[in-house]
Amino acid sequence: MAKYLLKRSAQILVTLFVFLSLVFFIVNAQPGDVSNFYALNPDVPPETRERLQDLFGVNEPLWKQYLVHLKNTFTGNFGISFSHYPRSVADVIGERLPRTVVLFMTATALSFYLGFGLGKVVAWRRGGWFEYTSTVSGVTLYTVFTPWFGLMMIWLFAFKAGWFPIGKFLDPVLWRDAPIDANSVFTQMIITAFAVSFVVLTVFVITAQKRMSNARIIRIVSMVLATLAVVAVWMSWGTVSYAWDILRHMVLPVATLTLISFAGTMLLTRNSMLETMREDFVMAARAKGLPESAVRDKHVARNALLPVVTSFIFSLAFAVDGGVITESIFSWPGMGQTLVSATLTEDLPLAVGAFVFVGIFVLVAHLVADILYAYLDPRIRY
Amino acid sequence: MTTDPVLAVDDLKMHYVTQAGVVRAVDGVSFSVERGQSLGLVGESGCGKSSIAMTLLKLLPDNARLVAGSIALNGIDLVPLSEDEMRPHRWDRISMVFQAAMNSLDPVYRVGDQIVEALEAHSSSAGRDAMERVRELFDLVSLDPSYILRYPHEYSGGMRQRAIIAMALACEPDIIIADEPTTALDVIVQDHILREMQTIQHSLEMSMIYISHDMAVIAEVCDVVGVMYAGKLVEFGPTADVYARPIHPYTRALMSAFPSVRGEKHELVTLPGEPPNLLDPPGGCAFNPRCAYATDECRTTAPPIVKRGDQWAACWNPSDE
Repeated sequence: MAKYLLKRSAQILVTLFVFLSLVFFIVNAQPGDVSNFYALNPDVPPETRERLQDLFGVNEPLWKQYLVHLKNTFTGNFGISFSHYPRSVADVIGERLPRTVVLFMTATALSFYLGFGLGKVVAWRRGGWFEYTSTVSGVTLYTVFTPWFGLMMIWLFAFKAGWFPIGKFLDPVLWRDAPIDANSVFTQMIITAFAVSFVVLTVFVITAQKRMSNARIIRIVSMVLATLAVVAVWMSWGTVSYAWDILRHMVLPVATLTLISFAGTMLLTRNSMLETMREDFVMAARAKGLPESAVRDKHVARNALLPVVTSFIFSLAFAVDGGVITESIFSWPGMGQTLVSATLTEDLPLAVGAFVFVGIFVLVAHLVADILYAYLDPRIRY
Repeated sequence: MTTDPVLAVDDLKMHYVTQAGVVRAVDGVSFSVERGQSLGLVGESGCGKSSIAMTLLKLLPDNARLVAGSIALNGIDLVPLSEDEMRPHRWDRISMVFQAAMNSLDPVYRVGDQIVEALEAHSSSAGRDAMERVRELFDLVSLDPSYILRYPHEYSGGMRQRAIIAMALACEPDIIIADEPTTALDVIVQDHILREMQTIQHSLEMSMIYISHDMAVIAEVCDVVGVMYAGKLVEFGPTADVYARPIHPYTRALMSAFPSVRGEKHELVTLPGEPPNLLDPPGGCAFNPRCAYATDECRTTAPPIVKRGDQWAACWNPSDE
C-alpha cells in the first residue's frame, strides 16, 4: 500500500505539472498583458506602463516566464491579487477554498446517500408507483437547467416562504458587532464536522472488525456521546448563533446541488443492483435463510456499490465545474465565484491561483477515492 | 429403514409463467429420501433438475408458480409456508451446495464471515462460538484454518467448493441438496471432494440429494437414483438396479452415452435430438419423438408405471431384459 501511495503521488505530481503548464499557456495565449488595462488611460504615461511590464516580467521570453511560474507555484508564491489588493492570492484562496469544499462535500455526500438509498429500494421493488415517481422526478431534476432551478429554489424558499436567506455566506447585520470573524467560526465548524465523522467512523470500523456482539449499542452510545461533546464544546465557544447563520446560508445551495445530482447515482445504483441481484451469491444468501433486508443491504447493495463509487470518483471533477454556476447564483463566496470574478476583472494572479487549487483539489480527491476503493473491494490490492 | 422419510415430495408441480406461455419445469414429481440416504437426480440439461432444487428450498423467481403438490420436510409441509415462515427452515434443516460454487461466495466478505452469517441467522451463538464452529467445519472439509479470514478470490476452485460444503454443513441440516457439486472441477479434485462428502454424510447421518448430468458421479455416491425427463421422473430405483438393468429407453440412452471403465468396449451412442420445449411438451410420453421404440400409444396417452422390485419406470414399451 505504501508503495502504491508513493507511486500514485508521483503520478499526481506529473499530472499537476501538466495541468500547471496548460493553465500557464492558456492564460498566456490571450492577447496583451496586464499593462493593457492602462493602455487607454490618459493618466498612465507610457513610462509607467513600461515599469509595470518590467515589474510583472511580461517582457521576458515566454519560456523564462514559464519557469518562473512553475517555481512560484511550487514554492507556494501565487502573487498579489489585483482585485483584492493588497491581499495575496494565497490569502484569498485560503479563505474561499474551505467554503467551496464544505459546500461540495456536504452536497456530494447527501446526493450520494440519497441516490444510493433510493436506487437500492427502487431496484428491490421493481415496478409500482415508487419506482415511477422517484425515477421521473430524479431524471427531471437531473436534466433541468441549473441556473433556472437555483433561481426557482431562491424564489420559492427564500423569497416567497422566507425560510432561508436569499444568498451569500452570512448575514452582515448579525455579524457587524461579532466578537469573532466569520472564517474562525467556519473553521470551528469544519473541525467539529471532521472530529465527529472521525469518531463515528472509527467506532464503526472497530466494532465491525472486532466482531463485537453488542456493536449496535456501542455505536449508539458513541454517537450520543459525540453529540453531547459537540454541544458542550460549542457552548464553551459561545459562537452557536453565528454558526447557525452560516448553516442557514448553506441550506439552499446544498439542497440545489443535491437535487440536481442525486438521480445520476440513483439510476446507476438501480442498474448495478439489478445486475448484482442475478449473481449466485445472492441466491446463496437467500438460501442461508437471511432476512430480505440483510440480503439486500449486506450482499446486493454492498456489491452494487463498487461501480457506483467508480462513477462517483469521475463526477467529483464535474461537481467543481457545476459549482461555478451554483456559487454565482447563490452569491456563495467560494472558489467558483472567485474564478468567475477573477476572470471578468482580469485578476490574472487570482485566476491562475484559483485554477491551480481547483486542480489540486480534484487530484487529491481522486487519490482519496482510490484508497477508498481498495478498502471497498478486497479483490483490489495495490 | 422404517422411520419416516426426512423429505417426502408428492406430486410437485412448479411452472414458470413466461410471455410465451407456461413452462412446466417440474411436472408432477414424487419421491422421498430416508435419513442417511442419498438420492441422485440425473437427466440432460433443461429437464428440470435444478428447478426441483430451487423448489425444495422455495427459492423461486417471481414468475414461478408452485401449482400443486407437497414438500414434507420432517413431516412439515413447506409449500403453504410464507417467506417468513420458510426462512427458519432454510439452511438450518435443508441446505444446498450450489451449482456454480465459484460464484456462490460473496467476493467482498471473508469466507469465515460468510459462514458465521449463516450460523448467526439460525442461532444465538455469535462472535467467538461461531468462529470456533467455523474452525471445526474447515477441519471437517480439510481446509487450512488459516484461510478462514481470507477472501473467496484467494481460494482455488477446489477450495471454494470445500468452503461451500463447509457452509452447507454449518447448521447440521437434515438434508443437503448438491446441485452439480463438482461439475466445474477437474476429475481428481472431483473424486476427492465426492469421497469426503460421502464420509461426512455417513458420520453425520445426513441425507443428500445429488443433482448431476454425470451418470458416473451419481453411480459413485447415490443409493437411489431418479432419471428426469421433461420435468418428470421417468425412472426411479436403487442405483445398482437402475444402472444394471435400466427399464426406460431414455435411461438406456443415457447409459450408452457414457463410457464405462470396466466391461467390454462399446461405441458411445449419442442420443439424437434435444429435450423437448417445456412450453409445449409432446403429448403422451414426452420422450416419444426421440425414442426408437415409440408407438402410437406413446404419442397419445401418458405411459403407465412399470414396476420391477424397488425399481419403476413410466413407459409403454419397457425393456424386459
